[in-house]
Amino acid sequence: MMFPRFLLAALVCCCLAFSGSSVAAESVWSGLVVATNAPQPTPIPAELNKLEGTLKGLFGYNQYQVIGQTRSTLKSGDEDWLASSKYFSLRVDSKSGSRAAYLLNLQLFQEQKLLLETEAKLSKRSPLVIRGPQVGEGQLVLVLLVE
Amino acid sequence: MNTHEEKWTAWLDGQLTGKELEQFEASLPDISAAELEKQDSHKLSALLKEQITAPSMTNVEFFHHQLRTEIARESRPALKPARETQASWWSIGRLAWTGAASLAIAMVCTFFVMRDDNIGGQSTYTQNVLNARIGPEVNSYATISMFETKEDKVTVLWVEGLQSLPSEYAAK
Repeated sequence: MMFPRFLLAALVCCCLAFSGSSVAAESVWSGLVVATNAPQPTPIPAELNKLEGTLKGLFGYNQYQVIGQTRSTLKSGDEDWLASSKYFSLRVDSKSGSRAAYLLNLQLFQEQKLLLETEAKLSKRSPLVIRGPQVGEGQLVLVLLVE
Repeated sequence: MNTHEEKWTAWLDGQLTGKELEQFEASLPDISAAELEKQDSHKLSALLKEQITAPSMTNVEFFHHQLRTEIARESRPALKPARETQASWWSIGRLAWTGAASLAIAMVCTFFVMRDDNIGGQSTYTQNVLNARIGPEVNSYATISMFETKEDKVTVLWVEGLQSLPSEYAAK
């Protein structure tokens, strides 16, 4: 008597879990970041908190400032957006991907000039960091992560 | 019969007759001693026939069973070892267990190989970054390399050789 009830409850829970996850949209944060060394570095932006150690280890700078950003909600998985600063822009074209990863076409522009184009998969498990050109004493860094 | 020993044996057995018997008994040095010896020989023969018989078997049925089994085994010498081997190792049950065990070992090996790949990060970033290229207006000696950080699995696209820009390009 108990076993069929337990089985039914488990089945309902599974259905709810799967239906919930399929409806839930995920948000992708895209940022243009300038890394520099400063005597009194400002705190790292909240979006980059999880990557602070990695960024400092990779680039060796102590300050990371966001000069352009956008947060996009992926519903159909077939969206595009733009994160831009005064001179740089990152165009992202999302193609339909699996639940585990989004397939993105990325284009980095310096004003009208295409600097870099890449096609990459972005997942919650694996953020994407791109080293851009040297800017003054610092470095332009592009960051994309699933929130 | 030529030799004396043969004729002596035949005389003891009572097989000499006629002229041959007369000639042999005439050749004997002491006929009475020979007759005595003949009687002793007959007594001994009778005694042996009476006393010495085949030993009786106590477990006749068991002996017969063993004999029949041995005859049956020897009548099909080539078939039996093969059937014994089949029955001992390649039964359906053991074949199924062997197959299942092999499958389990293969799955465990696959799991460890795939896990090692992820630890190294080599397979992940090549899957994550499908292609990358420098823009056509950018200098031709710029290069792109890809790797994945071991700690938090960040996929990194490392571009070298892009033109350095003045600091005002860091403006928001």
